[in-house]
Amino acid sequence: MSIALAYGALDARADLTIEITQGVDNPTAIAVVPFAWQGGGAAPLDVAEVIDGDLTRSGQFAPVGRADMLSRPSTEAEVFYRDWRAIDTEYLLIGRVSVTDRMRIDYELFDVLRQTPVFEGFESGPIDEARLLGHRVADAVYEKLTGIRGAFATKLLYVSVTRVPGGKDYYRLTLADSDGARPVVLLESREPILAPAWSPDGRQIAYVSFESSRPAIYRQDLATGQREQLTNFRGLNSSPAWSPDGNTMAMVLSKDGNPDIYLMNMADRQLTRITKHYAIDTEPAWMPDGRSLLFTSDRGGKPQIYRYDLRSGATDRLTFEGNYNARARVAQDGRNVVLVHQQEGKFHIALLDLVTNRLHILTSTELDESPSIAPNGSMVLYATKQADRGILAAVSVDGGVKFRLPAREGDVREPAWSPYLAR
Amino acid sequence: MGYLDKLLVAGGLVVMTGPLCIGIAAQDYVDLEAERAATAAAATAPADPYGARPAQAYPATSYGVRNAPAANSAGTPAGAPPAPAAPQSSGQNLGNLFYQIQQLQQEVMRLNGMVEEQAHELRMLKEQSLERYVDLDKRLSAGAAAAGSGGSATSAAAPVSSGGMPAAEQRGESEAYRAAYALVRDQQFDQAVQAFRQFLRDYPDGKYAPNAHYWLGELYLVVQPPDLEAARQSFTLLLNQYPDNSKAPDALYKLGKVQFMKGNRAGAREYLDRVISQYGSSNSSAVKLARDFIAENY
Repeated sequence: MSIALAYGALDARADLTIEITQGVDNPTAIAVVPFAWQGGGAAPLDVAEVIDGDLTRSGQFAPVGRADMLSRPSTEAEVFYRDWRAIDTEYLLIGRVSVTDRMRIDYELFDVLRQTPVFEGFESGPIDEARLLGHRVADAVYEKLTGIRGAFATKLLYVSVTRVPGGKDYYRLTLADSDGARPVVLLESREPILAPAWSPDGRQIAYVSFESSRPAIYRQDLATGQREQLTNFRGLNSSPAWSPDGNTMAMVLSKDGNPDIYLMNMADRQLTRITKHYAIDTEPAWMPDGRSLLFTSDRGGKPQIYRYDLRSGATDRLTFEGNYNARARVAQDGRNVVLVHQQEGKFHIALLDLVTNRLHILTSTELDESPSIAPNGSMVLYATKQADRGILAAVSVDGGVKFRLPAREGDVREPAWSPYLAR
Repeated sequence: MGYLDKLLVAGGLVVMTGPLCIGIAAQDYVDLEAERAATAAAATAPADPYGARPAQAYPATSYGVRNAPAANSAGTPAGAPPAPAAPQSSGQNLGNLFYQIQQLQQEVMRLNGMVEEQAHELRMLKEQSLERYVDLDKRLSAGAAAAGSGGSATSAAAPVSSGGMPAAEQRGESEAYRAAYALVRDQQFDQAVQAFRQFLRDYPDGKYAPNAHYWLGELYLVVQPPDLEAARQSFTLLLNQYPDNSKAPDALYKLGKVQFMKGNRAGAREYLDRVISQYGSSNSSAVKLARDFIAENY
């Protein structure tokens, strides 16, 4: 136990760094001027850098380098549009940070070409949540300029594995900001941790842990760390997936023979078996309306994605391209499904459009798995291999933007992107 | 790869070791743990979390976001208690039976996959043919519109298939027809009119005669100046001589349009209504065109 705690303190070891590998052709040029610090001493955090990083990572913006800025305004009176036109800037974001018992960020966005203010706003919160406030400013700017709700002020869950030569590996379930910063270890074990999943309100998580030497599903409260073992059946206990209303959890159990999908009523823990097939049915994922579930099954001889309608009990197959389509996750629009698709022996992340029934391959790496989609549907986070190490990478749903979040140490896998989080 | 492969391994274990544990069937579950321990050597792939584990379990520590360890709440594990080691059946027959069932299951799964895929392909083909039909309809409609306005756009209507009065093809007929049709395709409408007229003189009862009448009707509408009366006669000839021809509905629709262009709204409406009443139950594109025309102009 003491060893586990000592490791928990070294949470920076699971830190992720970001490398952008591919952006859009014509990103919008935006200048994020360092925000004026209106407190004593040095600013605790460069908020503008957080915002700059968020916008860059979206691939839709090309931030202007600070060295190129001819002036550094922090109020509208200090803005001279010619300074920004001269360096081909399209939008300009300025701001001020002040601190009382809380931090407050005031910001203003300007359209350089039209020479007009676009909008202004502020964010305030605890001082140690400065990064979160920055992400929220980035969300507001992103939404204003793209029309799509921002998802920077969200969280990621992932599992990192530290190899111990000649000993047992360390598994850590880690919670981090959407840019990989501020990692916090939620669970540490020398037995595997798998399949982290979010509750729809973002307050709880579920996962599979082998700490009792066999797989069991646990639920954990994020604020308190309080946890509860939900299942302990013989055989497999895996793939927990909360329903959109939070009242039900889909899971895979093999207690009745071979793996099938079950629903657990979270109020009374009653189980309902919804697939009964001698083939393997696994990896349930809810449609956003909660009326049907996608799952992977090899009932057709090869793993493919099926949809189970909870009302009619009907099952229909959704994927027909290729010999392997698995681990589906559905975007909030209920239209885009991301999954693992095998092509010529390589595993890629692909997007299935449920309206056109077309499958688009998004990634060019070879061992991609565990896709997880951002709550605004813009980006897909997935696990892949780079130089034999497990890393996280992200790709936009149109395949145009790509970046990697390699861990500084160890293998990282099974990312799960949070829903929008309450303020 | 993903989760499934691991599951497949686990599932495979159940199947592979099946003959050893037939006796367990009565217990309603398969003891995966025992299987795993029994096949430890096979399952200890380094990265495989489903691989065998030593019996000793290490405690896991959970933290809240403030990173303080939390006490494990008792929880209510709902699982069954560990079962005693299962008795093993030595029945060779049972083993064979199991093997056969396993083979049948795999065969059924394979066939199931084929049925799913074929059903999917059928659905796609149906959709495609519907799309093609709609596309053809659109093009016909565009051709009709161009003809109606006296424009010079080519009528891209598909060649008329012979229908009502099957006639034996005469020597040289199809060559002559094709040559005339090529002129339509090349938008040499005046020459095409001459060619189709000559064609009908040479092969008045030929296999392609109905097609020639139809094309002549169309062509009289697109030549400059349009010859509405000649068009009316061509379409009427087609209808009178070959009432069962597949182009009859289209000819009827065109007659309606010709009347409309002549300023005879009431007469036009009669023809259009006849298209709908006579062919409303058929698949003819003329019905839709007639409905659209009425909706637009009446």
